[in-house]
Amino acid sequence: MSDKRKLTKDEKKLMREIFWSSFMLEGSYNYERQQALGFSIGMWPAIKRYYKNEKDRAEALERHMNIFNTTPHVVTTITGVATALEKEASENPSFDKKIINNVKIGLMGPFAGIGDSLFWGTLRIIAVGIGLSLAQQGSILGPILFLLLFNVPHMLVRYYGGVFGYKFGTKIMDQANNSGIMQKISKGATIVGLMVIGAMTASMVTLESSLVFTIGDEKIPMQDYLDQIFPLLLPLLYTIFMFYLLKKGMKPTTILLVTIAIGIIGSLIGII
Amino acid sequence: MQTALIVGIILALLWFIEKMLGTAMVIRPIVVSTIIGAALGDVQTGLLVGATLELVFMGFIQVGGAVPPDVLVGAGLGTAYAIIGNSGAEVALALALPIALLAQSIKVLVFIIRSWFMNYAMKLAKAANIKGMINLNIGGLLLHCAMYFIVGFAAILFGSNAVEAFVNNIPDAIMNGLEVAGGLLPAVGFALLLLPMMTKTNVLYFLLGFSLLAYMNIPILGITLFGVVLAFIIVYEFNGKNGDSDTTDKEDEEELFDV
Repeated sequence: MSDKRKLTKDEKKLMREIFWSSFMLEGSYNYERQQALGFSIGMWPAIKRYYKNEKDRAEALERHMNIFNTTPHVVTTITGVATALEKEASENPSFDKKIINNVKIGLMGPFAGIGDSLFWGTLRIIAVGIGLSLAQQGSILGPILFLLLFNVPHMLVRYYGGVFGYKFGTKIMDQANNSGIMQKISKGATIVGLMVIGAMTASMVTLESSLVFTIGDEKIPMQDYLDQIFPLLLPLLYTIFMFYLLKKGMKPTTILLVTIAIGIIGSLIGII
Repeated sequence: MQTALIVGIILALLWFIEKMLGTAMVIRPIVVSTIIGAALGDVQTGLLVGATLELVFMGFIQVGGAVPPDVLVGAGLGTAYAIIGNSGAEVALALALPIALLAQSIKVLVFIIRSWFMNYAMKLAKAANIKGMINLNIGGLLLHCAMYFIVGFAAILFGSNAVEAFVNNIPDAIMNGLEVAGGLLPAVGFALLLLPMMTKTNVLYFLLGFSLLAYMNIPILGITLFGVVLAFIIVYEFNGKNGDSDTTDKEDEEELFDV
């Protein structure tokens, strides 16, 4: 964490090239090698700098055609680390090049974990939460704000992630593990993500009972009583029920269809 | 014919932008439906349909290699049909779901076709032909876009009348049921999001967020800020002071990385 070294002019240019080359990671996503083609192309700024003859360049491109998969938004951090390793490999003939792919494989899992929960799980949900209420009021600002809230942090992480990855190079995993940064980030993201999802569940899942009990002459609408004890209890229970079914291994599409069936049947027989 | 062309082009173009900008979320319903609405002359319906579908499709995201229902095609065609037929968000919802499920196979097909390209990509890499690799990568993307164009174009050109007739024949009782189901469906999305994150040890954070809104009606942005503060307190203030926290950390992490 103490690496405060300033980047040289050429290194800054390299960082910009890595940033711009990183966007097409999933252009040819496929089952066989997943994001490999895009990743290999993203390594070109480093490869063309460090290797001057055709054979070495080919060897490096081929090396990065190994199967690869991570969250697209955070890929430059791994590209940055791999770049630092390629630099070392090009300068030091005794460097074992197998290490490069090993480190990449070691990084892509954790980064997919952090990236997915940060970008898909947290940032996107916050952006939806804010954009959605505007869209529901019929304001065009809704989708615009949604895209901005997501993509401004996205672009910052994409650029500075590359710088971060490059600076720490080989040491990133050791240092990050020692100071527990990875765990801290992922734990923090989980807490924020869960709270936001909880809040959105409360505001966006609607389920009200239309049951009315008649005791003597008095009509008792069940929903009124539920609201006094625990408002929104039914949406909470339903969401937890869905979570339980998913945990039990039921397919998402199945429970979608089940939910539609429950909605239709429930409203036909008049309980919801 | 013109409408079909417009819808086809929008679907193809949005996918192109999405993947040229490194997954920038332009294929989420809140964006797709708005653009389809604007192109077909009814932005308001587009916005409302987009908001409804965004909630329903919340949990359908591509994480790892698993292919989720196709939100782009589902939201795009669902919105287009709803606007062409002058009907509301419930109709768009009723149509978008089955369409998204059917369209899932487009992606699977494209991923298989592009797997065949990989031998060629290896040959290009062995020749250090970076231009060839970039072209192949863009070619793979254009193939996907072309599929979306064809699907969008054909679905509107040949499907509109059939869909309109079908929608007009849906009984009211079913439409009411769909409205109720529309309120329930976000639960599935949220449950999907929770699946890799929530464990026995951290379920309380979910409950906290839920109760803050249910009882106190704090806006989501406010709850997010509370969450950030709480996360900092827990991660930085308490960590290391009690011996158990490390083990729970690791458990959480494993759950998270299983995504």
